Amino acid sequence: MNIEKSTKAARGTVQCENTNINLLKANDYVAEIIRNEMKKSNTLLINITSSAGSGKTTLMQKTAEKLKDKITLAVMVGDLETERDAERIRESGIQALQIVTGGICHLEAQMIHQVLPEYKLDDIDLLFIENVGNLVCPASFDLGEDYRVTLMASTEGDDKPKKYPRMFLTSDMMLISKCDLLPYLPFSVDAVTKDALEVNHELEVMQISALKDEGIDEWCDWLLEKIKQKQNN
Amino acid sequence: MHETSIVNSIMKTLEQEFEEKKLNTLSAIYVKVGKLSNIEPRLLHNAFTANNYCGTKYHHVKFHVESTEIKIQCLHCDHITQITDYKFMCEKCEKPSKNLIQGEEMLIHKVEFDD
Ligand SMILES: Nc1nc2c(ncn2[C@@H]2O[C@H](COP(=O)(O)OP(=O)(O)OP(=O)(O)O)[C@@H](O)[C@H]2O)c(=O)[nH]1
Ligand SMILES: [Mg+2]
Ligand SMILES: [Zn+2]
Repeated sequence: MNIEKSTKAARGTVQCENTNINLLKANDYVAEIIRNEMKKSNTLLINITSSAGSGKTTLMQKTAEKLKDKITLAVMVGDLETERDAERIRESGIQALQIVTGGICHLEAQMIHQVLPEYKLDDIDLLFIENVGNLVCPASFDLGEDYRVTLMASTEGDDKPKKYPRMFLTSDMMLISKCDLLPYLPFSVDAVTKDALEVNHELEVMQISALKDEGIDEWCDWLLEKIKQKQNN
Repeated sequence: MHETSIVNSIMKTLEQEFEEKKLNTLSAIYVKVGKLSNIEPRLLHNAFTANNYCGTKYHHVKFHVESTEIKIQCLHCDHITQITDYKFMCEKCEKPSKNLIQGEEMLIHKVEFDD
């Protein structure tokens, strides 16, 4: 790290001007290591984010059921406390490990890197990271993922994209989840899509219901396509 | 939300960059946080102050936080637009853009020492 040290400051002080030390330097460095490891093993890494309770774990279970006979997939799941989500996902017959953050409201690259040795990456085509339920802090932490997918449940209200712009700006896909409930809620898919695209015009948008198995085949096709692209590269 | 860990990371970073003897004369830290960085300047300031109550050797260090606006530069016409309503679009040619040139940063951009 080069820091230019200048002394042209007010009398009695030495200044270091324009140091521009990135506060997340350490995180970004580890994220790059993860990215390289995933490249070597040809593993597609997907970071799943959302508010608490938008259906991330349920989607992981459903995706596991649909894809486990076609590809090898695994999950690591971050939560403030408890092993519950990892247990739920393991019941679907795939490897899942819990990262308990102990009160930290996001996952950092270092936490991912620490558990990576538990996975046989060479055999894994697709690795999901289920992030801590929170649309704020996880937006700032690169985990070395290929794609960031944000769930937005129909029960949450359709004003989220502009309330949490950083998350939608850094996401590649927005999944509108719990769509089976749309008939009962004052939630406009058009409004939320319009707002999200104003923040990020490259964002892909899909509608799903993990409960009623709607849109899940399209979601799985998207994943298979991305795996193919990565493995052919 | 993670302001306290940001403050810790600032101090850790400085401890990596400078020798201890030098750090004992640290008098001011200037950080820049973009409006998109999800860091609230006031909370960051509070976190720093709270840290110092715990009796660290930095209790006299001044801490300045500057908040920077969100700006994009259009890839079609080069025009720079300041984003105020999270509509990421060039105000001149109305093309959408994610080409951020400012607003995401979390930087220590200046530190001062007593001589
Ligand atoms: N109606 C409906 N409910 C769903 C759907 N998907 C999930 N849920 C319910 O929403 C609740 C939360 O689902 P989870 O999958 O645990 O959500 P999560 O995002 O993993 O939650 P955290 O990890 O705590 O942030 C559960 O009661 C699910 O049964 C869906 O497609 N439709
Ligand atoms: Mg969960
Ligand atoms: Zn333009």
